[in-house]
Amino acid sequence: MDDYDKTCLESALVGVCNIVQQEWGGAIPCQVVLVTDGCLGIGRGSLRHSLATHSQRSESNRFPLPFPFPSKLYIMCMANLEELQSTDSLDCLERLIDLNNGEGQIFTIDGPLCLKNVQSMFGKLIDLAYTPFHAVLKCGHLTADVQVFPRPEPFVIDEEIDPIPKVINTDLEIVGFIDIADISSPPVLSRHLVLPIALNKEGDEVGTGITDDNEDENSANQIAGKIPNFCVLLHGSLKVEGMVAIVQLGPEWHGMLYSQADSKKKSNLMMSLFEPGPEPLPWLGKMAQLGPISDAKENPYGEDDNKSPFPLQPKNKRSYAQNVTVWIKPSGLQTDVQKILRNARKLPEKTQTFYKELNRLRKAALAFGFLDLLKGVADMLERECTLLPDTAHPDAAFQLTHAAQQLKLASTGTSEYAGYDHNITPLQTDFSGSSAERM
Amino acid sequence: MKIFSESHKTVFVVDHCPYMAESCRQHVEFDMLVKNRTQGIIPLAPISKSLWTCSVESSMEYCRIMYDIFPFKKLVNFIVSDSGAHVLNSWTQEDQNLQELMAALAAVGPPNPRADPECCSILHGLVAAVETLCKITEYQHEARTLLMENAERVGNRGRIICITNAKSDSHVRMLEDCVQETIHEHNKLAANSDHLMQIQKCELVLIHTYPVGEDSLVSDRPKKELSPVLTSEVHSVRAGRHLATKLNILVQQHFDLASTTITNIPMKEEQHANTSANYDVELLHHKDAHVDFLKSGDNHLSGSSREGSFKETITLKWCTPRTNNIVFSSISELHYCTGAYRISPVDVNSRPSSCLTNFLLNGRSVLLEQPRKSGSKVISHMLSSHGGEIFLHVLSSSRSILEDPPSISEGCGGRVTDYRITDFGEFMRENRLTPFLDPRYKIDGNLEIPLERAKDQLEKHTRYWPMIISQTTIFNMQAVVPLASVIVKESLTEEDVLNCQKTIYNLVDMERKNDPLPISTVGTRGKGPKRDEQYRIMWNELETLVRAHINNSEKHQRVLECLMACRSKPPEEEERKKRGRKREDKEDKSEKAVKDYEQEKSWQDSERLKGILERGKEELAEAEIIKDSPDSPEPPNKKPLVEMDETPPVEKSKGPVSLLSLWSNRINTANSRKHQEFAGRLNSVNNRAELYQHLKEENGMETTENGKASRQ
Repeated sequence: MDDYDKTCLESALVGVCNIVQQEWGGAIPCQVVLVTDGCLGIGRGSLRHSLATHSQRSESNRFPLPFPFPSKLYIMCMANLEELQSTDSLDCLERLIDLNNGEGQIFTIDGPLCLKNVQSMFGKLIDLAYTPFHAVLKCGHLTADVQVFPRPEPFVIDEEIDPIPKVINTDLEIVGFIDIADISSPPVLSRHLVLPIALNKEGDEVGTGITDDNEDENSANQIAGKIPNFCVLLHGSLKVEGMVAIVQLGPEWHGMLYSQADSKKKSNLMMSLFEPGPEPLPWLGKMAQLGPISDAKENPYGEDDNKSPFPLQPKNKRSYAQNVTVWIKPSGLQTDVQKILRNARKLPEKTQTFYKELNRLRKAALAFGFLDLLKGVADMLERECTLLPDTAHPDAAFQLTHAAQQLKLASTGTSEYAGYDHNITPLQTDFSGSSAERM
Repeated sequence: MKIFSESHKTVFVVDHCPYMAESCRQHVEFDMLVKNRTQGIIPLAPISKSLWTCSVESSMEYCRIMYDIFPFKKLVNFIVSDSGAHVLNSWTQEDQNLQELMAALAAVGPPNPRADPECCSILHGLVAAVETLCKITEYQHEARTLLMENAERVGNRGRIICITNAKSDSHVRMLEDCVQETIHEHNKLAANSDHLMQIQKCELVLIHTYPVGEDSLVSDRPKKELSPVLTSEVHSVRAGRHLATKLNILVQQHFDLASTTITNIPMKEEQHANTSANYDVELLHHKDAHVDFLKSGDNHLSGSSREGSFKETITLKWCTPRTNNIVFSSISELHYCTGAYRISPVDVNSRPSSCLTNFLLNGRSVLLEQPRKSGSKVISHMLSSHGGEIFLHVLSSSRSILEDPPSISEGCGGRVTDYRITDFGEFMRENRLTPFLDPRYKIDGNLEIPLERAKDQLEKHTRYWPMIISQTTIFNMQAVVPLASVIVKESLTEEDVLNCQKTIYNLVDMERKNDPLPISTVGTRGKGPKRDEQYRIMWNELETLVRAHINNSEKHQRVLECLMACRSKPPEEEERKKRGRKREDKEDKSEKAVKDYEQEKSWQDSERLKGILERGKEELAEAEIIKDSPDSPEPPNKKPLVEMDETPPVEKSKGPVSLLSLWSNRINTANSRKHQEFAGRLNSVNNRAELYQHLKEENGMETTENGKASRQ
């Protein structure tokens, strides 16, 4: 970004907006820190002017707030509250936060403007927005103190039913493992580095409440790199086995831990958060219903590790997986009629497919109340019957006549013949026994 | 992100009155004659669908798309109206599928053109629609139960899609008024009912349909608020494919859908198998799959919007997967995916569509490329199926905020090189998860949560789990595997116990033969500990492992007993061994002495072993015999208490009884048999015995008080 010699907050915000979007897209949360002396500029381009014209914007010169990405706008004023309140500066800056859907905060200097007070103001920002997230990663009795970076954001599931934002636990409890192929690129809210930390070194920062394991205490004086750490073990095995660890983040909230390679040499333990809820991934089913394989009658992964209980099959198939009938375009209808016709010409070899297609058409026609079609297809089959070559198998004529007759009966719509679950079955002829064998 | 928005409940009200039997006057050629057979044959006359058929198949298509993309929580209630209302299904999830609806529609059949038009009206259906909107769905019920006192947060909104043939604008107004009034009435009823909900918001979508070529008697009207509860819009649509197009647009609007066209799909030609052509397939999905395009305002992508249609589609290019690697590369890689959305093909039965969907359903994934003006390649999406459902995955294509992170080898524990990576891999495979769909119950009758079982298992499996090779001996020994793999189980079978015992005897045998142990020499100078010291370390570690599990079951205790019996040595022998060793050192390791000692020891061992084996057999025969009977070998009690403290803290047991107290109890019972119990302890209450009771008898109450004061 070029620098300019005039205070013009709007163009600065537009610049930020563009840069962030180009680099990180619209999904990555971003903290924008605006450092200002509290003066809003003069004339065109001043914040007063920007705000005054805010309601008259078109799509092309949209005001940059709210930012088109999840954001927090922190305004650091190099002035104290009294100075700002003497003009309308503070109101204007507060408008900015409001325009960003209330996401952000204004910081001012306590007391006179001096290095110490500025430092303390930024110290407050750091405490608010940049405190590292410390947690304990647990797998049964194996534990490690970790920092999760970036800080996981609170999440609102449904603002109507459940308006309170969910935050993740500081105990990250592994509940089990799943093959990468089975979890198969799940959608995630965010992903985070999981960095093991030495407890005593940063003991001050860690604070209370999470230092309940004393396993590391006596060894913490040694060099951290040489102390076995569970994160490193876990990472190594996840990488070698091609697996992920499912981790519980809170009530009905899960995530996964996996090895992420940055380059050939560098790789890291990463954690991705699933959307909170009982069933974040349909192909795994409900999380609470996942249990240890030892509870199953036989190993669902097979003795040779050659099968898998995943993905879970849904109860109902989707339309594209169940051969539905759609006749909205004439071509759909024509294809279905052609299929019947093609099989009709290969009777009796294709008796089974012929009746299968015939019944499919019959069902759809009955559901759509399209009885004329049944009559039409019946006529067509009768015509086919007359066109049979002399070499045709005698059974073909019998089957065609039978099918045509059945369709005609169905086309009357009387319940006796037009039952949806009723299927037209092949006519039992003297030949049919042998033809059945041929199929 | 509201579940209970208007699209939670959709009521279709389709007119089944006599005039709906009228033809839509759009002809369908169904008798397409195949070439070479055309001579002399006149094709059958084209047929046309009725208004009813058009309405039903368009609404089924609406439902098909909706069910494909939202198989749960978006519900349809189908009502047919003639001389009365026929409600074809309910809000229950089981009723929510095309097959059910098709079967129900077949049962209704087409409208009877000879029925008395005076008796028939769409009003019956509209009234029933309002009624059904007041009925609670299982999802609403569940949410209300869950929220308890906040149950009022659960909304009740819905949409009525009414397909009819109206007579005029005023007829339409009459229908709207009727809905308005019915809502008012039913809300009053619902207010006094526990299983009905008041309608907070209802969207009425009135579709007037008429034969092609006729003039519409009803005019279009955009959405208008008729009351705080009711909004209404009117669409006047010609029947036939126009009606289908309209409903396709509506389903997209109602469910926030967007369209993506996959272009450049290579497909073999039907006629010429060697040639392939490129096809396009249009898919619908939730519009969030386009969130990156929408936010960045990258509008040039949607340039291919179809003329005259509301619909815009974003084109993504098929990336032919690298050969051979198709399956492998797609499954072994974990893409950074920010969203996955179910899809529905617009033209489900067309050949290109079914080719694409079948390709995906066979388990293959396809990466999709976003064409950019600059010509650079960006993979932005992936199509993949999971268990018969196809999802459009959104892949992150922007810069990562986690660039150049420190490698794990640079952090804590990063310089340790002998992690038990393979063992932990094995551990992970044993602790893989699997779905348990049928509810299971615990002994106390409570529902068992499989995930809690999984956590339990992890807790058991990690009670003693050294992370590095040099920290352990037993896990480096193949001979220990049969014991180590079963001892972590919640319960053991007799066979397991036997295997554990065999493992222990085997170790005893190894010790007797003086087999080398894989003791780590890392960090120690010279050759490391002596052989018998090695075995001591090994036995200690094994004991730690077994002890960590003795609370699991009585059989686990038997394993410990066996272990303790085998490793314990009579003190004289220990003494002699020590003396022997000293002498041995003094006498410059006289070979002979060692041999003598070995022989002696091996004899003792084999004698003991025999006893143990016999005991094992006995145990098998009468499995539930009490272990501390005087006939069985003496329980081990020679371990000094100091040893207890040595056992690592991994044994934090979760049960109410601590390992220490359990062990002390056992020691105490064993010891108690060897001496006469103090009279005071025998008569004690809560382990407190009153001293100098005879004084009490002599002096009365006072001393008791004194006794108390002195706190015994």
